[in-house]
Amino acid sequence: MRWVDWYGDGSLYVLDVALACCTLEFDAASPVLAGPLPTLHDRAQVAVVISGTVTDRLAPAVAAIVDGCEQLAGQRPTVISFGACASSGGPYWDSYAVTKGVDQLVAVDAYVPGCPPPPEALSAVLDDLVGG
Amino acid sequence: MISWAGEIVIKVLSENWLAAVEALQADGFHYFDWLGCVDEIGRSDHFRIVLVVRNIADGAEPEVLSCLLPRDDPKIDSVRGVFAGAAWHEREAAELFGVEFVGGERRRLLLNPEFEGTPLRKDEVLAARTGMNWPGAEEPEEMGDPGKTGASSSRRRMVPPGVPDPAVWGDRDASQAAADPADVAESAIGGRVRRRRT
Amino acid sequence: MSSPESAHRWIQLIEPACTSCMICARECPSWCITIDSHTEPVAGLPAGARDRTRNVLDRFAIDWSLCMYCGICVEECPYDALEWVGDLTPPGSRAGALVEEMVPPPS
Repeated sequence: MRWVDWYGDGSLYVLDVALACCTLEFDAASPVLAGPLPTLHDRAQVAVVISGTVTDRLAPAVAAIVDGCEQLAGQRPTVISFGACASSGGPYWDSYAVTKGVDQLVAVDAYVPGCPPPPEALSAVLDDLVGG
Repeated sequence: MISWAGEIVIKVLSENWLAAVEALQADGFHYFDWLGCVDEIGRSDHFRIVLVVRNIADGAEPEVLSCLLPRDDPKIDSVRGVFAGAAWHEREAAELFGVEFVGGERRRLLLNPEFEGTPLRKDEVLAARTGMNWPGAEEPEEMGDPGKTGASSSRRRMVPPGVPDPAVWGDRDASQAAADPADVAESAIGGRVRRRRT
Repeated sequence: MSSPESAHRWIQLIEPACTSCMICARECPSWCITIDSHTEPVAGLPAGARDRTRNVLDRFAIDWSLCMYCGICVEECPYDALEWVGDLTPPGSRAGALVEEMVPPPS
């Protein structure tokens, strides 16, 4: 998995689960390119951003990724549902192949509306996470 | 030969499908572009398999093959022995339309293993919205009589786009014969279906 | 944060302009707009006039977890009661938190 050291100082590591168009806004919001996870220090926070539509076929993989983050980080990461699809299935809520929101699989800490949300919406939620 | 977006389409019988694809490849069409399926219900009782190849060395114009398969038993030879890349396209058509590719790869591509159905057939209704209350069906309620709306009783109940008329599919009169697939497909795309009283 | 006026980040209702015609709810492809309303007789009509009623908006809600920001509701409203605004649609911290009650239902 590839992580973003969001503030460049090891205080917040963010993983993008890049499923669909919302991941382009993640890329626009991300200050640096993602890289391998270095050793986390004690006060580092970890966030997983689900960017895009969760299909029923990929749902187990998405759940496994969040579990995998918990193993790697030694703590439950903050889970951010980024965009309408990740939050509820979005405009594809009626599809035979779409999971209606990643919260069907894992607990979600923040739901960000948008289709897609602008990059500032992600930055704002992550800033709140570190600040609050 | 029929014209489709300006290109020439070669119609092939299903028994000649593999030979036709091999012949094209031998003729310099080494680039497999795509293979798809079209549900021709409403026009004819067939699935149409479409395959596009190109000769990159010679202008890369598309060469289009088209084959009609009977809707109740759609079988066609797999061409993955000729173009390995066709395997994924065939898997997609197989699982979404229910077409059998003889000699093709049987694994699912996009759908969950437990999924049942062939969702891209036009008579297979996307049922999610038929079960939900459509917010657009609400009308202002008459004050003092919450069960009654201000709309006149003679106004035809609106059915939202994409939802078949309940008289055709869904919550319909069980004493009426089931609608035939072409009627279901027509209603699901918003067409008016004249039900014959039997 | 400031955004240009043309930014399509959030949709808001201009309540006095809404007549509960339901057109936005009908046209929304995601079915994310919920409107409740009722009719009331119009008072103060001159003697001998026919009874008339008007619509009263009781609830107007948009579920932002479904909205795809297509803008059809803004375009279709005959009374220009919906508008784009440049602020971000606020995030939520629980399922259902993304339903915005622009006109909350009477309690």
